[in-house]
Amino acid sequence: MRKFTKAELGKYNGKNGMPIFVAYQGKVYDVSRSFLWKKGKHQVLHKAGLDLTEDLKVAPHGAEMLEKFPVVGILEHSYKRRI
Amino acid sequence: MAKVTREMVERSGINVDQLVELLVKNAAAELTTYYYYTILRFNLIGLEGEGIKEIAETARIEDRNHFEALVPRIYELDGKLPRNMNDFHDISACPPAYLPDDPTDVREILKVLVEAERCAVRGYTQVCNMTAGKDHRTYDLAQAILNEEIEHESWFSEFLGEGPSGHFLRRGETSPFVSKFLK
Repeated sequence: MRKFTKAELGKYNGKNGMPIFVAYQGKVYDVSRSFLWKKGKHQVLHKAGLDLTEDLKVAPHGAEMLEKFPVVGILEHSYKRRI
Repeated sequence: MAKVTREMVERSGINVDQLVELLVKNAAAELTTYYYYTILRFNLIGLEGEGIKEIAETARIEDRNHFEALVPRIYELDGKLPRNMNDFHDISACPPAYLPDDPTDVREILKVLVEAERCAVRGYTQVCNMTAGKDHRTYDLAQAILNEEIEHESWFSEFLGEGPSGHFLRRGETSPFVSKFLK
């Protein structure tokens, strides 16, 4: 599975015809076909090309809304090492 | 525009441009849903469909009421509505509530209806969360709409066999929560 850095993920922001990707808990989802992610924005407050793990904690829906979309990769360094 | 109104909301710490954009998107969702529910309602026919038609009609009328209640608040906060109906459709906060491929499948129509209501419940919960304790008038409006959307969701959920809604269809006038904004 393809690995994305945060900088690489940031390119998939829906601008200039780019696909629309977002990350959640280490997985990168392709939400390009979502009506609610047109132009790389979701409900005014959220932008594509970013890790939305923290945003989803306060969203009015759970991860199930993202899990409907295909996973296209994993986000590198998206976890904190436990010592 | 209500200048001091907007200023008060800004001073509360809310990003008013974001709030207005969210209100416009929700208004778009209400008006487009009103259109799509017209088609859904007309296709609720036969032994199964007729029993749901009246409640779908109530939800349809109340969604139109929500649109009409939102528009004054958008203007008060110096917002604008799209000039073009196509744009309005495309910025909706909820996906189109299309008639299912098989329009005789009442259960599929109910799924469309309940998903539309669930989207609305999420949307107004977000507006309430943004405005609680800050923008009292928008909060009051969003909470009133939320109350009706929750009832709509529970009606259609009940028909899908997910459990009792806990209430009965409207008696008398529609929009018991939002009507105060329409007078």
